[in-house]
Amino acid sequence: MERKESGFLREHGRNLGMLFTLSCALGALAIFSPKYVTFDNLVVVALQMAFIGIACLGATYLIISGNIDLSIGSIFALTAVVAAMLAKSMPPLVAMLLAVLLGGLLGLVNGWLVWRVKLSPIIITLGTMAVLRGIVLLLTGGYSIRSVPKEFSVFAQTRLVGIPMPVIVLILLALSLHFLFTRTTIGRHVFAIGGNREACHAVGIPVRRLVLGAFLSNGLIVGLAGVLTAGRFGSASPAFGVSLELDVITAVILGGVAFNGGRGNILGVLLAVTLLGVISSGIVSLGINPHCADIIKGVALIIAVVLDQLSQEARERFQKNLAKSDR
Amino acid sequence: MQSISASAEANSAKGIPIVRCEGISKFFGGVKALDSVSVSFKAGEITALVGDNGAGKSTLVKIISGLHKHDEGKLWLGDTLVDHLTPRKARVAGIETVHQNLLLCDNLDIAANVVLGEEPTRFRFGPLKIIDHHASREKARAQLDRLGTSLPDLSRPVERLSGGQRQAIAIARAIMKAHRLVILDEPTAALGLRQTEATLEVIRRVAQTGVGVILISHNLDNVFAVADRIVALRQGRIAWDVTAAETKRETLVAAMTGLLAAPAL
Repeated sequence: MERKESGFLREHGRNLGMLFTLSCALGALAIFSPKYVTFDNLVVVALQMAFIGIACLGATYLIISGNIDLSIGSIFALTAVVAAMLAKSMPPLVAMLLAVLLGGLLGLVNGWLVWRVKLSPIIITLGTMAVLRGIVLLLTGGYSIRSVPKEFSVFAQTRLVGIPMPVIVLILLALSLHFLFTRTTIGRHVFAIGGNREACHAVGIPVRRLVLGAFLSNGLIVGLAGVLTAGRFGSASPAFGVSLELDVITAVILGGVAFNGGRGNILGVLLAVTLLGVISSGIVSLGINPHCADIIKGVALIIAVVLDQLSQEARERFQKNLAKSDR
Repeated sequence: MQSISASAEANSAKGIPIVRCEGISKFFGGVKALDSVSVSFKAGEITALVGDNGAGKSTLVKIISGLHKHDEGKLWLGDTLVDHLTPRKARVAGIETVHQNLLLCDNLDIAANVVLGEEPTRFRFGPLKIIDHHASREKARAQLDRLGTSLPDLSRPVERLSGGQRQAIAIARAIMKAHRLVILDEPTAALGLRQTEATLEVIRRVAQTGVGVILISHNLDNVFAVADRIVALRQGRIAWDVTAAETKRETLVAAMTGLLAAPAL
């Protein structure tokens, strides 16, 4: 076995940085707003983060493969609304399952369009984002779907040893994806496609199937987040998931996933989601104008992209120097 | 296609070439890219393929690797006449190409790049195959050792390596599958002196393991340094096909530029 030459710090520096920032934020909150750092409140914060966190996992998968889906906010809303509407006329569990599958189907449609048209996934999914939001508004007439049977909310509102079900779903999903990324050929090949798609074609990796699979998984995961959200509130609003893509992409990029694909880890994304969640809820708890949270999120996204770009430039400089020293 | 790889061992023992082209022509619209080219490539032999831009080198190589279909002539893999060669068939027959841009995944480590697409696995649950990381490293190590490349830490990302090391990794990956013939497209074009020397050594090692090598290069110094045989193309025709030892640099240049008629072949 070879020793790892790459240092622990370089590999985990970013995650340690986020952990440090998170501790500082929680420390400050403990001093200035002691009621924030109680088990009950932290569970509520975790519950609020869980839905974005779940959506982030799907986006992580997709962005690592070198793609992106901007329509996740609309898929989120559509699956929530459809689940709530269906639950009125069929067993809630079936309604939820169908809605999640619908999310998968929509993800697959996005994937197919991106693959077939070979255009930037940003443009194509910007289009589907508008189309799906329009469908949501048509279906609901702009009003929330209410008076859904109580059983619809059972799953999302259950707690296991005090932990809300959505948080448990997030953790289980995160563990599965971590396993997929680090242990399986599918995960390895998704990273490889994000690194050099042409190389993957050349060695016979089924690139098309894997990319479509990433879009499908993203759709299923976002659908799950949408359905759980509807379950949590016992209703579904057509305004669900507006600007979800912004929150999700901010967290994913801040979490160390390269926007161009090929790099990232689940732990980083979870830390970033937690950090952003604590900041936006902490601001409210401190009595600061909640709109400041939006500003902080935007700044966080810009910082994340700048960090991403700087490390990319550092890599290029390193290679250039390597080439020079050889000549 | 199974028969091709199965009987290949016997063929090379009998001196039957890995690939034999007989009067192969290829047209692109009205342009004749290859004009009844007859040439063969043998196991363990380094054949340099030289010629000006547009002489037909890449067309010939693309036909051999199944990317283009020839319009006229016969193409043999071992003793099998192949009517329609596809990239897949070429690969099954043990022919691999290392492209000029190497096609490495910079974000993955050395071992992952060498075994890319051929990862050793331990278990399988439906479509989920669990990578055996230890066996991956062993497999990559074995391939790199075969080339005499010393890379101490296989868990380094490929982006942190020099051009020569990257070239070695691309070749290691190719020869893992190319048990018959490996086509190297300008392997030294982007390299410095030291790295070029190392890469030429790798190419010699590949040939020593019994794999045939086609080396496309513009650099005649490199060609004379490693090639057993030199084939020059000019305007889609074979202008020169002689062992390297019998080739003088001036005559080769003359053949490539058309100042000299092709020797009787």
